[in-house]
Amino acid sequence: MNNLRYIVKNLFLGLMVTWGISGFAQIDRLNRAQQLLQARTPDLAQAAIDSVIQHPETKGDFVSWTTRAYIYFEIYKRGDKTKLNSPLRDTIVSSLQVSNALKPDADYMNNNRRLLVSLSTHYYNIAKTLLQDSINDKRSAFAYNKCKELFMIAKPDTNFASRDIEYYNAVGSVFSDIFNKDNKNEKAQEVAKLAFLKVFDLQPDNTPANMNMGLMYLNQGINLAKSLDYGADLSQIDAIQENIVKLAKQSEQFIFKVYKKEPKNEKAVLALYYIYRMMNDAAKQDEFLKKCKELNIKLD
Amino acid sequence: MVLCLLSLRFQQPSNFDTNAKIKAVFLYNFTRYFEWPDKKKTGNFIVYIVGKNDNLINELKTLASKKKVGAQDIEVKNSATFDPSISSQIIYLLPDVSSAVKDVASKNKSKGTLLVAENANACKSGSSINFLIVENKLKFEYSKNNAVKAGLKTNDDFKALAINVD
Repeated sequence: MNNLRYIVKNLFLGLMVTWGISGFAQIDRLNRAQQLLQARTPDLAQAAIDSVIQHPETKGDFVSWTTRAYIYFEIYKRGDKTKLNSPLRDTIVSSLQVSNALKPDADYMNNNRRLLVSLSTHYYNIAKTLLQDSINDKRSAFAYNKCKELFMIAKPDTNFASRDIEYYNAVGSVFSDIFNKDNKNEKAQEVAKLAFLKVFDLQPDNTPANMNMGLMYLNQGINLAKSLDYGADLSQIDAIQENIVKLAKQSEQFIFKVYKKEPKNEKAVLALYYIYRMMNDAAKQDEFLKKCKELNIKLD
Repeated sequence: MVLCLLSLRFQQPSNFDTNAKIKAVFLYNFTRYFEWPDKKKTGNFIVYIVGKNDNLINELKTLASKKKVGAQDIEVKNSATFDPSISSQIIYLLPDVSSAVKDVASKNKSKGTLLVAENANACKSGSSINFLIVENKLKFEYSKNNAVKAGLKTNDDFKALAINVD
């Protein structure tokens, strides 16, 4: 009986020592991971840190999670910065979120924030590339929303309105440009319209959005006239004229807003002259012809 | 937040004159509804524009390069004021010379010339066709009597398409 008690007691002590050593080992491993990160060998650091964040002794420490985020960031930087979907990026974000939830001190909080802002910027650049080079509105919007999401985690009080206006104006201008070149591309027109409507929600009198939306309708009317065959019969001419006038009126709504805000905006004045010419409104056409001359705008 | 700014593409308003195109299409359409005397069925089909409208002239020249009237090539002539020595199938008096309608109409009586104008009361002054604006759209008045006086054979279908003034 005494023997058994002796064995149990020693076993318990042994377990305590092993557990303590293991805990110390994990802390040591965290230090090692940090050293490897500083030595710019993130691949070696990765295995160490993944073990650290699983151990009960160290998984509740924000230092472990922030360190992990930075180690993964070093690996991510090598080839994932321009990828829309990156598991490495996802791991960084989730690590930073765990770290933030563990109430880090001010230094670590700032480091977490800095990393989130960097990732947000990468998403913005991806959104830009997908929009301007790949002309992929859906993937671009996904990247842009991710950019916002990460930035809001880093700095929740940020007002994104001006950035939204800039982004949706860019989407609208890219797609209205496509539509102006090919009026059969209704999808491009729809994407452009939706983007400009988002701008109007934030700033109804936004000049670029009103200008581009108006010009999209104006150019659509013009392309309709251009496509009219010389041999078209009189009933066709009537129908085409009906549509041209309708488009000119739609265009006027937007361009006139720009003109009201900026009476010397040359592009708006010129566009209004063309719009009233298209609408066969002689009085207003003359009025804007006069304004064009006052502003030294070169006419056709 | 350091971000690369997205570039905005600003569209340019197109200077294409839709009215000039519509007028050119109308003028070409008119050729389907009249019959010119035999002496005017040979040589080029001349559309004579009197007054200033560069967009219209250019549009008609494009039309002339693509279409014919029957077997006749279309030729566009233009002068600032009416020149009676120019023989044509169509004379189009632009608004800046609209005061000449009566004079031009009297000089072209029975000559087989379709006179088109763009001025209130032009048909009353002798024009066969007069462009006018109705609800922002280009329409035209038609005087069959004036067309007959000008020596043209008319088609009654045309009356149904126009605002008749007789």
